[in-house]
Amino acid sequence: MGEFNVHRVRFFNYVPSGIRCVAYNNQSNRLAVSRTDGTVEIYNLSANYFQEKFFPGHESRATEALCWAKGQRLFSAGLNGEIIEYDLQALTIKYAVDAFGGPIWSMAASPSGSQLLVGCEDGSVKLFQITPDKIQFERNFDRQKSRILSLSWHPAGTHVAAGSIDYISVFDSKSGSAIGKMLVDRQYMGVSKRKCIIWGVAFLSDGTVISVDSAGKVQIWDSATGTLVKNHLVSNADVQSIAVSAQEDSFVVGTAEGTVFHFQLVSVTSSSSEKQWVRTKPFQHHTHDVRAVAHSPTALISGGTDTHLVIRPLMEKVEVKNYDAALRKITFPHRRLVSCAKKKQLLLFQFAHHLELWRLGSTVATGKNGDTLPLSKNADHLLHLKTKGPENIICSCISPCGGWIACSTASRFFLYRLNYEHDNISLQRVSKMPVFLRSALQILFSEDSTKLFVASNQGSLRVFRLLEGGFTHLHSFQPQSGTVQSMCLLAVSPDGNWLAASGTSAGVHVYNVKQLKLHCTVPAYNFPVTALAIAPNTNNLVIAHSDQQVFEYSIPDKQYTEWSRTVQKQGFHHLWLQRDTPITHISFHPKRPMHILLHDTYMFCLIDKSLVSPSPLPPVLSLASAFLNNLSF
Amino acid sequence: MRLRTARWGLRTCRGRQSPGRPCLLRHSPCACGFRVRGQDGRRVPAARVMVQLRPRASRAPASASAMVDEGQPASEEEAGHGLLLGQPSSGAAAEPLEEDEEGDDEIDDEAPEELTFASAQAEAKEEERRVRETVRRDRALLKEKRKRREELFIEQKKRKLLPDTILEKLTTASQTSVKKSPGKLKEVNLQKKNEERGKGSDSKKAKVQKVQTVGQNKSYMAVRLKDQDLRDSRQEAAKAFIQNCLYGPGTNRTTVNKFLSLENKRLPMKKAAAQFLNNTWGSQRKQNAKRFTKRWMVRKMKTPKT
Repeated sequence: MGEFNVHRVRFFNYVPSGIRCVAYNNQSNRLAVSRTDGTVEIYNLSANYFQEKFFPGHESRATEALCWAKGQRLFSAGLNGEIIEYDLQALTIKYAVDAFGGPIWSMAASPSGSQLLVGCEDGSVKLFQITPDKIQFERNFDRQKSRILSLSWHPAGTHVAAGSIDYISVFDSKSGSAIGKMLVDRQYMGVSKRKCIIWGVAFLSDGTVISVDSAGKVQIWDSATGTLVKNHLVSNADVQSIAVSAQEDSFVVGTAEGTVFHFQLVSVTSSSSEKQWVRTKPFQHHTHDVRAVAHSPTALISGGTDTHLVIRPLMEKVEVKNYDAALRKITFPHRRLVSCAKKKQLLLFQFAHHLELWRLGSTVATGKNGDTLPLSKNADHLLHLKTKGPENIICSCISPCGGWIACSTASRFFLYRLNYEHDNISLQRVSKMPVFLRSALQILFSEDSTKLFVASNQGSLRVFRLLEGGFTHLHSFQPQSGTVQSMCLLAVSPDGNWLAASGTSAGVHVYNVKQLKLHCTVPAYNFPVTALAIAPNTNNLVIAHSDQQVFEYSIPDKQYTEWSRTVQKQGFHHLWLQRDTPITHISFHPKRPMHILLHDTYMFCLIDKSLVSPSPLPPVLSLASAFLNNLSF
Repeated sequence: MRLRTARWGLRTCRGRQSPGRPCLLRHSPCACGFRVRGQDGRRVPAARVMVQLRPRASRAPASASAMVDEGQPASEEEAGHGLLLGQPSSGAAAEPLEEDEEGDDEIDDEAPEELTFASAQAEAKEEERRVRETVRRDRALLKEKRKRREELFIEQKKRKLLPDTILEKLTTASQTSVKKSPGKLKEVNLQKKNEERGKGSDSKKAKVQKVQTVGQNKSYMAVRLKDQDLRDSRQEAAKAFIQNCLYGPGTNRTTVNKFLSLENKRLPMKKAAAQFLNNTWGSQRKQNAKRFTKRWMVRKMKTPKT
């Protein structure tokens, strides 16, 4: 082709943070993942494992436990001693309650979902009652001598097993008294000076307690008599996590070596009714400690210090053996962390606590297709902008002219004005922020850099006009009906007339920016939107969903375009639909209106709309030719 | 005077002495009204002292109305005391009565003294007046005491707060420190010591804000809580515990560099480690050097022109 200069940017040193806890919710098939920097992400496993919501992290919040309670309520507890409830509709933190027991190491919700148990640093186990709007402290269980590192409820809610250092105690949940204590050996067949830390316990309905500890053992105890039934030595290093399936016929453990073991309850001989736990499958998908595992009805989920989230469907549990039963590894973020100022060739990289501004390198040489051109000027690191405070940055954006940078944390909004003189850059912060502008879920500048669009939580969308010294508030679009389903995405048309916003369950709203009112709403689709863009001249809105469907909607005509209808009738190619990473960015060729450029984590693709036409060829072949220009790296 | 041994073995004069005169005998307190020392020489507690003299009920029937309430508990105490002392009554009202009581345990059934009504009335009135006066005096004393205590409290409170002048200075000083602009040092004249302001020219760096020392003789420093690290010792201990468990001694862990370089180090011809260069060393110095060279170049470019 030779018509594009492709810049290979290798200076974005993005380091994700490790996964600390994982919690699976059966009713909604959602997975909550908590990372070491305090971020909590919610993945919708039925929407093609898309990360639909996230809560930004905080430096002081060292989350150690995460659990779901009745009614889709999410709680987390950490080393700062607080129990935090997350508001999944407003995407903020509802409240934080101090448990007054010191750092909290473990938390478990009762099987009925109405009580919450936390294990603290001082050895106390505290019971909280979950009321409709808050949690209420109910009772302290008998205090133990060392910190309570793991907790598990009996499925009937009558007993609780708590793993500590060198022993496991069993409590009666009604009275709170310790009814049994099981001492754990420090080493499998031997003595050791290092104390044995019980990283996980699981209580089964027949009274067996399964414990995993730092000596690498998986032990099965009988809680009624307090005796050891079976001892499995699984690794040389710690076994750090355990999760039991709902049917209690299999459980999964994760080790510090990165191995995940699957244990199943199988009969001793094919005819007998006696069953025992047998280690069936090892999986090595991680390179570092596996600190969290979860067991869904059909898959094993693991996450650890190597930041990958691995979802391994179990073949015997999956009904339809298609591509869905393949291993899923979620490594890269599902949202954009890079914004580009097209005119000045600047890139803004978003990290957890700072922003980096780079200017792309330039070249004067020319060549033909496939050549590597030498750089005459290297990429330049212009700015390293640190945000104050312990909170992580939620979103950031740079204006197309490169003169404005905006970013937002959970409690503050920052807007900077940049001035370029010769080779110097000067930064000025706009200090006067309106009171209602606290945190933003998404920020976008208009193409001519005169307007700023901010989507804050609860679905409200604000429009600001940018002036030389600051900015003034123009209008607020209040939320329409429909709850916040996923993170808000914004797109603005190049001529500045239209603004599209997604994120609510009502569909994608399109607003008329000049008249400041709602123009139309694209019909709702049951999968969340992963990318949005508006084409330059035709004002067609292109929407990509998490199930790899791409729609094109004409804004002036208020209906889907012909191309989109044709494609939907014929259906996408099966290879297209089997991609497992979501499309995160859509763009357009300035000179060719028939081209749509889009990319996901592993491929960059150009869709030529003119190639798809109703033809006598079978649908598969005609669509395959439409995706010919597939530039992959 | 007859000496009578009281129940606890102390000699007592049974209150025969007149109220004006100190009792020369060593005995426990009695109606003579003075604190005396007991037999072993220790002072007997003053609670046993009876300060007042009052008429005996039996002797003055007309003055029964003069019996004020204050007299009642005294009478009970006295009665009790009298029991202990072995006296049926005590507290002589008038001297002539004392002489009469000299040998009262022998002559119990003597006829009572005859008193005129007027004298008895005058006596009673006198008694009433005295009582009223004492009550008034007591109340006045109490009021005064209360007032004094209040004043004392107010003074103490005032003393607790710093004197106004110092407070004023502190507030103005904090205001001026908030309004500072980078690179500008403001001199504020104070009473005594020179101020120390740790003002960095780069406002993004963490500043140690020290308010100037105030006060004549006091040498303390007021710092902002925001500048101090709020370190929760329990949280730090917990983090140290988990760090020790997972990465401390005894865990069989090694770094990536060592792991990959193991082979290199075991070869007969030892080679360098896989990641021999550590580019993160001296990053600040490298940055400073880069900035210096840039500025030097700019200066070099400028000087030929001038």
